[in-house]
Amino acid sequence: MSPTLIIAKREFRSYFDSPIAYIVICLSFFALGLMFFFLNGGFWQLDRASIARLFESTPMGLSFLVVPVVTMRLIAEERRSGTLEMLITLPVKDSDVVLGKYLGALGLVLVLVLSTLAYPLVMFKFPWNLGPLDGGPVASGYLGMVLFSCAAVAIGLLISALTESQAVAFFITFFVLGALWLFGDLAGKASASGYAGLAALLNYVSFQSRLNNFWRGLVDSRDVVFFLSVTVLSLMVAFRALERRKWA
Amino acid sequence: MATDVMIQANGLTKRFGVVRALDKVNFEVKRGEVVGFLGPNGAGKSTTMRILTCFISPSTGSATVNSHDVFDNPLEVRRSIGYLPQRAPLYTDMTVWEYLKFAAEIRGLDESTFKKRLKKVVEVCGLAQSLGKDISTLSHGYRQRVGLGQALIHDPPILILDEPTSDLDPNEKAEVLRYIKEIGKDRTILLSTHNLAEVEEACARAIIVSKGRVVADGPLDEIRGKTGRVRYVVTIDEQRAEAGNKPPAAAQALEALQRLGGVKTVRELPTDEKAHKFELSGAQDSDIRAEIFRLMVAKGWTLLELRRDAQSLDVVFRDLTRGDEKLDRGANWSAADEAEEDADDKSSADEDDEDDDDESDDDDEDEEAVDAKSKGKS
Repeated sequence: MSPTLIIAKREFRSYFDSPIAYIVICLSFFALGLMFFFLNGGFWQLDRASIARLFESTPMGLSFLVVPVVTMRLIAEERRSGTLEMLITLPVKDSDVVLGKYLGALGLVLVLVLSTLAYPLVMFKFPWNLGPLDGGPVASGYLGMVLFSCAAVAIGLLISALTESQAVAFFITFFVLGALWLFGDLAGKASASGYAGLAALLNYVSFQSRLNNFWRGLVDSRDVVFFLSVTVLSLMVAFRALERRKWA
Repeated sequence: MATDVMIQANGLTKRFGVVRALDKVNFEVKRGEVVGFLGPNGAGKSTTMRILTCFISPSTGSATVNSHDVFDNPLEVRRSIGYLPQRAPLYTDMTVWEYLKFAAEIRGLDESTFKKRLKKVVEVCGLAQSLGKDISTLSHGYRQRVGLGQALIHDPPILILDEPTSDLDPNEKAEVLRYIKEIGKDRTILLSTHNLAEVEEACARAIIVSKGRVVADGPLDEIRGKTGRVRYVVTIDEQRAEAGNKPPAAAQALEALQRLGGVKTVRELPTDEKAHKFELSGAQDSDIRAEIFRLMVAKGWTLLELRRDAQSLDVVFRDLTRGDEKLDRGANWSAADEAEEDADDKSSADEDDEDDDDESDDDDEDEEAVDAKSKGKS
């Protein structure tokens, strides 16, 4: 097994060795259930057999809670406790460390994302059958969510690589991902007030606006390239941030 | 012969901002040598070790480990070494077995090799009882053992250990030192420590660094001889004396000893009410025990103990690294950077002189001089 995968495996397992994975998963499902069924415009109020709500709520929960919590410790904690020195002086490349940690954290987030598949399956297949499931938008919606998770975790990892404090990493990640999400709402307001240029800019960078297309069943290569570019760029900067220790 | 040099440092310099942590450090460690790396806190020991393990890069200079360059070939360098960083930072959420397995997997050990090595490592580091325990529940001494275990798991030709015996109890220390001596027969070991007794126990050679420079490098005997002085310990009875003579007061005895020919310094050591104890230092090639005995006879004092030994390593260590201490205590160096550097150069030159011509330069005198200066200032 390559060092990258060994590090990823260790990272993924360590979430389950501590309470963090269980807390995150339980809280996320509780919050998702609340959002999906009850809160304004929820399933019971809407009275329509649609899971569009799932695609709106999940990435928001990921941005504001899951990704910051999962990524905050990745490198910051290792730096603080000194285990980074132990890890890097094993025969591994810096890129193995960055990629391994990235894959480990992404693994946990994807477990969470994919387990929301329970919603469409339970509602439209078994035990309930509320009608025929429109497979296309569900598939593209999940593709969007996976791409979004890749980008968000990469941003979280990058921020964790820049600081020694988990708390600082959490709040900055929370803020950055939150802003990238809310830019979508802002864009709507901006275009309503006639600032078309600003709205276009906000839509361009907003994760929410980008995901909108996927929910509607539209897989636009520009959106795919956008998420992948953010991922690669963040990982490269994280790699540089890790390498900086050599010269500072 | 080049293959016999396992670790080589050429003019390693490391700057952290304006602070120069290492200044043109040169040394070599050959195959099978166990070398003690000594120096006060902040002298650059850990920095050097981090450069050798490719965790950080030097500002200038180069180093090779097992004939691999730390710049060009960091992975090969790391494959050749087992490294225990200071305070043994470990993943506390893993069990000991999981951790060792993790280190072995990354180092590419296959299952059967791992089992074989694990057995040996468990035996050496005394981990049999704790293999299944979470590292977070282990005491610091046991974590140190686990750290040592992961450094040994792949049976490396070179071991770099940063304070391997700190936080161990005396039994564990003895055990680790015994092991270091044992594996040092066919391996190269560079270990840093504050404990000079350990160096004397385990190492044949020491490198002493101070303020980022190597101030001594050689076999221990050579380093001990560096100050060119011998130590005498004299104990005189404080309550009784021979044949109607009065037992001496401390000041009286001190003065008499000071007046002996060949004595450089005399210092009173703390004792109980029954005796006065003094530490004298004299030139390496002379022996003044006879003079001391005759003085006792002439005065009619009762000599309880007279001992001559080579300067102990920690006295040498203190001598060689005194510059650091002086700076820390706010001795009278100029604040300007350039002036400070000049002063540094001068002080090291002074130290060399002192070594060469046995110029008497006592600690106490120095302190007095510093005191006088600071009084003059205030």
